[in-house]
Amino acid sequence: MSSFLSSYRVFTFTAQNIIRNFWLSFITLTIFVLTLLTINAVIFLNVIADGALEAVEQKVEVTFYFTPDASEDIVQAAQGYLNGLDQVREVTYVSAEQALESFKERHADNEIILSSIEEVGGDPFGHALVVSAHSSDDFAFISEALETPEFASFIKEKDLTDYETIIERIRTLAKRIRLGGTVLAFFFSLVAILIIFNTIRVAIYVHRDEIGIMKLVGANDWFVRGPFLLEALFYSLLAVVLIVLVTFILLAQFEPNINNYFGDIDVSVLSHFKENGFIIFGAQFVGLAFLSLLTTLFAMRRYLRV
Amino acid sequence: MITLQNVSKQYSKNAPYALKDISMHMKAGEFVSIVGQSGSGKTTLAKLLFAEEKATKGKVTIGDWDITNIRQGERPVLRRQIGVVFQDFKLLPRKTVFENIAFAMQVAGEHSKRIHEIVPQVLKIVGLSDKSARYPRQLSGGEQQRVSIARALVHQPKILVADEPTGNLDTIHSHEIIQLLKRINDYGTTIVLVTHDRDIVNALKRRVITLAEGKIISDIEHGKYTLK
Repeated sequence: MSSFLSSYRVFTFTAQNIIRNFWLSFITLTIFVLTLLTINAVIFLNVIADGALEAVEQKVEVTFYFTPDASEDIVQAAQGYLNGLDQVREVTYVSAEQALESFKERHADNEIILSSIEEVGGDPFGHALVVSAHSSDDFAFISEALETPEFASFIKEKDLTDYETIIERIRTLAKRIRLGGTVLAFFFSLVAILIIFNTIRVAIYVHRDEIGIMKLVGANDWFVRGPFLLEALFYSLLAVVLIVLVTFILLAQFEPNINNYFGDIDVSVLSHFKENGFIIFGAQFVGLAFLSLLTTLFAMRRYLRV
Repeated sequence: MITLQNVSKQYSKNAPYALKDISMHMKAGEFVSIVGQSGSGKTTLAKLLFAEEKATKGKVTIGDWDITNIRQGERPVLRRQIGVVFQDFKLLPRKTVFENIAFAMQVAGEHSKRIHEIVPQVLKIVGLSDKSARYPRQLSGGEQQRVSIARALVHQPKILVADEPTGNLDTIHSHEIIQLLKRINDYGTTIVLVTHDRDIVNALKRRVITLAEGKIISDIEHGKYTLK
């Protein structure tokens, strides 16, 4: 048989099977979509958790207060040194004048503090560097970074101590959430595999007599398998297309609410799915197609022995 | 045409023999009835002919082709040359009458043009020209069996094996089916009819091979159904 004719017939039979077994096709597709929806819900939760943690981590800063005798050159040298560290995300220089202004603003309604400042006279604040890190894991390193002979004597104070507990909590929480997300993703993937496996086995079981009949009237194994494999591939593709639509519609609809919920923390789930959509959904299609094709081959094996 | 030499069949190692040391020869153009009670081995014998089962011992030959140890990949080729009709019709439920018959040609790679020539012809032979667009569930048992026969005929096979083709039919429909098989035999096709229907066998007055407990107990040229 020419391969073109054979392929054309396999396509035709596939289309007939899908249309004439509408309810079975519908149920199979629905299960595929629901399974992918579960997996994407886990991805969604992981992105939110990651985004929220990252945002909180970014809000934590270490401030190095310099002694009043530390010149601007020394502070800027320290800033340059900190900027050169991989662990440092941003270093902001706060001059003594800015520090005084901001202190006054913060305590504008506290007469006692303001009068104390007036009494001290001059500028009691030195320059300061506000340092934020890429990860909360890096604060311990950064806080030790200026313990060099060059800078140590000019550092009056580090206010990391106040943040140490919160940083430690965030680190523990981040690890737990990421571990939980991985376990959850693994668990749901396992459930998804079993559901897909069983759905296809049932679909093939329903057709077991037909498979036998096709063999008895002279069809070879690949001619019988072809439409079933193509059907599995079609459901996988359609399920992923539907899940892409559903995901983006839901995210576009609910992202404002999600952002409102998290306040000024930007978790940007939609942009995560936009930027990584090709990989996320591509991997889901490849995984689903591979699994459904393999299951179809496996499930048909016994009924082809006629 | 069909030769069995000392053929035995066991379905598993310790199971009793379904067929034991059977030898027979059927000539081209013969109409042979294989009769016997349930469990006598007649369906097993039919299954050996279209390679649904393999003989445990002995040799099965169709024409010059030794199919005793036929390979999996060769079975489709054999089945495109032997027409088979089953008691339960074995029609594809989600294909129309036309598609069911066409399927047997499609698997053999026949071109659509030829399929559209041959299928109407065989539908005419079995008297179902007006029901080609129907699905099997929309047909009576007799009509379904005629579709099954039409499907078996599309390759113009030299051999047609009919395994209890009237088993699910009433007397009138059974008579129609047998008449159809006789007409096909008149065209030169060898018919192997597996049945336990006494009236049909006696009415045919053709060669009758009787099986009991997996052995041939009689083989008579113009035989009758002799079992009780």
